[in-house]
Amino acid sequence: MEQRDIIHQYLKELERYLARLEKAQAQEVLREIESHIFDALDQQQSSGLAEDAKAILQGFGEPRELALAYIAHITKGAPPPSGFKAIQKVKQGVTATLYYAMAAFGFSIAFALFFVAGAKVFMPDSVGAWSAGNGYSLAIGFFAGPYPADQELLGVWFIPVATLTALLVISLTRKVLRVLKNNM
Amino acid sequence: MTIEEKEEKIQEKWEVQLRKGTLELVILAALQHRTLYGLELLKLLQGFKSAAITEGTLYPLLDRLKREGIVDAQWVQEGDVRPRKYYSLTDTGHHKLADLITLWRQSVLDIEFLLAHPGPDVLPVQGE
Repeated sequence: MEQRDIIHQYLKELERYLARLEKAQAQEVLREIESHIFDALDQQQSSGLAEDAKAILQGFGEPRELALAYIAHITKGAPPPSGFKAIQKVKQGVTATLYYAMAAFGFSIAFALFFVAGAKVFMPDSVGAWSAGNGYSLAIGFFAGPYPADQELLGVWFIPVATLTALLVISLTRKVLRVLKNNM
Repeated sequence: MTIEEKEEKIQEKWEVQLRKGTLELVILAALQHRTLYGLELLKLLQGFKSAAITEGTLYPLLDRLKREGIVDAQWVQEGDVRPRKYYSLTDTGHHKLADLITLWRQSVLDIEFLLAHPGPDVLPVQGE
């Protein structure tokens, strides 16, 4: 890359990180650093060295780090911007919605599984899990007649499997809810 | 890590701390009755073993000193050369420098005194 390109890229990146300063202030910083870099390049040349922008830029450090040093007085101990509380509220609202949606989702699946397991005891022929569509889909539930010609997968085993799955779903749901509650 | 390497590292750390602590005094001293632009000041400081700092340290520090009213800065264009930003001490800066000099000299006196009076003799009490 051309020496000038390296320098311009550096200054551009620095400008981006200086965005928290007032525009005039940021321009002042950039102008001074640019002047320094080109002065240093000239000095390299006049002392018979090859132009090495990278070596000069190294002294300034990463653009982000350098910018942080310039904006430290703004970011350190500054009160949160106005509107911050409102943002917190919205976030809390989202979490509450998520919390109840998660509870409804998890517990209704668990309830459905319990219900189907219980039903299997009374109506063993029309409740169960069937593999359908040549194994491409799985049907679990009640059916008026045995599901289209395919074999039922679990038989009586359906009862313990569905019950255990329901318990697993409940415990998972409670774990997720606990995490959400802590973040509310 | 060998013992020598460890010792070297501790010494290096102390040097960094010392440089950090004295940097403001060093810069104010360099600008005493003198007007310098950034690169000039940097080269000047890099000529001293205990004051060698990088561009990335110098410029944000100058920015802070300017915000605190300790130094003043002015763009100057001489002839064909590109404009440069020159720094000088303000009145506040001169007062601050005087304060820092007092502190620095006291600190050097105290340390020298301790070094000049090793044990096992009892240390003569200061101020008597």
